[in-house]
Amino acid sequence: MARDFRTLLKHLLMVFLAIAMVLPFLWMVGASLKPNAEIAHPSLVPEHAQPVNYAIVLQRAPDPHTGRILELDFPKWYFNSFFVAAWVTSLQVMTSALAAFAFSRLTWRGRDTVFLLYLGTMMIPSLVLMLPNYQVMVRLGLVNSYSGLILPMAFSAFGTFLLRQFMIVVPRSYDEAAEMDGAGPLQVFLDVILPLTRPGLITLAILTFLGNFQSFFWPLVMVKDEYLRTLPIGLLLFQTDYGQQTELIMAATVMNIVPLIVLFVVMQKQLVSGIQLGGIKG
Amino acid sequence: MKPRRLPTALLFLAPNLLGFLVFTLVPVGLSLAGSFTNWSLRPAVPLHFAGWDNYARLFQDRDFYFYLYNTFYLMLALPFSIAGALLLAVLLHGRFSFARPRRAPVLAAASAAIALGSAAVLALTGSPNLAYVVGALGLIAALGIRFGPVAYRTVFYLPYFTAGAATIILWSQLYNPNFGLINQGLRHLAAFGGWHVAGPGWLTSTRSLLGFLPWPAHFNNGGFGLGAREAIMLMGVWGAVGGNNMILFLAGLANVPPELHEAAEIDGAGAWARFRHVTWPQLAPTTFFVVVISVIGGLQGGFEQARLMTFGGPAGATTTLSYYIYQQGFERLDLGYGSAIAWVLFVLVFGLTLLQWRHGARDGTD
Repeated sequence: MARDFRTLLKHLLMVFLAIAMVLPFLWMVGASLKPNAEIAHPSLVPEHAQPVNYAIVLQRAPDPHTGRILELDFPKWYFNSFFVAAWVTSLQVMTSALAAFAFSRLTWRGRDTVFLLYLGTMMIPSLVLMLPNYQVMVRLGLVNSYSGLILPMAFSAFGTFLLRQFMIVVPRSYDEAAEMDGAGPLQVFLDVILPLTRPGLITLAILTFLGNFQSFFWPLVMVKDEYLRTLPIGLLLFQTDYGQQTELIMAATVMNIVPLIVLFVVMQKQLVSGIQLGGIKG
Repeated sequence: MKPRRLPTALLFLAPNLLGFLVFTLVPVGLSLAGSFTNWSLRPAVPLHFAGWDNYARLFQDRDFYFYLYNTFYLMLALPFSIAGALLLAVLLHGRFSFARPRRAPVLAAASAAIALGSAAVLALTGSPNLAYVVGALGLIAALGIRFGPVAYRTVFYLPYFTAGAATIILWSQLYNPNFGLINQGLRHLAAFGGWHVAGPGWLTSTRSLLGFLPWPAHFNNGGFGLGAREAIMLMGVWGAVGGNNMILFLAGLANVPPELHEAAEIDGAGAWARFRHVTWPQLAPTTFFVVVISVIGGLQGGFEQARLMTFGGPAGATTTLSYYIYQQGFERLDLGYGSAIAWVLFVLVFGLTLLQWRHGARDGTD
């Protein structure tokens, strides 16, 4: 009994810590449902809940202040964020897996030197790269385009490194058995190594998707036109244009964050074990 | 070694290598070369070699030292983030199961029912706020009892997972001096003691906890108190304590052999002594990794916060080196100078990492 009591106390402590972590989110949901006049009121819960805030942000209802539909395209921002992140994720996982295979399962002259060079560039702050990378995009004529948002993010030394960590622990005998059966390198890659490194692929995919869905800096300098705005850029401009309407900004924020929460709750088991595996060996 | 594999390897490497060349190696070269020129985006300025001019200018740039100080000051939050992550991991690592496993679902259902019931009662009797919080408490408790530490881990990880423009905008509302959750909470707490407080100015204030020191005039020191820098640090700790660091510490804790703890317990070591002499040394590689990664991130940090919350203000108080590089490159269009700052930052990152590495290696041989 005494032990159960201590367990209960521990649960209590964790619940209070957890509440401290989610309090900002609780405030966010409350504020997103308030009428503008109630925002300054010190209450978490709106007195007269106004779910229409969400419809206003989604341009399904006019803004009560001006009587006009907001001049923004929230669903489009959503689509853009999703579209760009999905493309970057599939390209990056693909290029990283191919390279990781060459760095872990094939033996060739200069392999370790080239790999060290890859690792070395992970040390270079992204800040060093951002000014010239923008110039490269200008030269390639890719500024202000989907390709400009996607291509530079599609190749990653980190992804290569992470997947190599997963591939290098697969026993040699697996490849050798497949080669004995007449499989070429491509078949070994597709039929043996990829299925065995699924946890690594999933981890990299989640991290890449999340990072690009939320990415702020690169779209900030790349995007000039309205139709290319991703969620973070849209939110930034929303805050600039409608700064006084906290309830609308919070409704937009809720709609940004909730899908991420769902994604995390669904994928967390794979993600956590992937981070731990990659991290320990790294 | 089978050299005949080289063509195959190149085929596998080709897509990544191509991107690596175009988007990493070429920009690195351009940036390094550019930092020795007057590279500018203004069309009227002809490009010419400038030698070490940008670097010389940097060392005389008083703003640079101010922003360097800001960058380091914000990094003072890192020990708190890391210690907090370790504390949460240690708590999560403990035992959460009841003596009789059958009790868990019953208890979970009971706490959910109690929470929902009291929330309903509170809502009807006119304290909707309390009802809201009690309801959330009950929900988390029910999930925690039912699913164990995984439920708490999920909640702690959420701020990290959702971090981005949205959470930064959310916090800039929380910090609103008048209606934000934080100052309203502080005022409520103060009201219990019968005081009236206005609350800190947070994002609008140049005060800082080191504001009592005699900083040079161009540091725009606002005196001792809580200001914009503390606001960004607090938000950072919230976002980081339950993040990847905690996950890595949890993995480290799982790898500590239980025999060590049992042996220490037999020798009569208390909980603290066991942590100090068993867990802490065993966690050293994880702690080292977490510290190195955090320092690298911290030196490059502050851009999103500055761009979304404060524009680097008030009076430059939240401008870090990363935001300064952005300002020079994309606002003043001075790419040469921006590149020079970026390379100085790189040397800083590299040097600090090297220093920690040597330190870590020495501690490891103790």
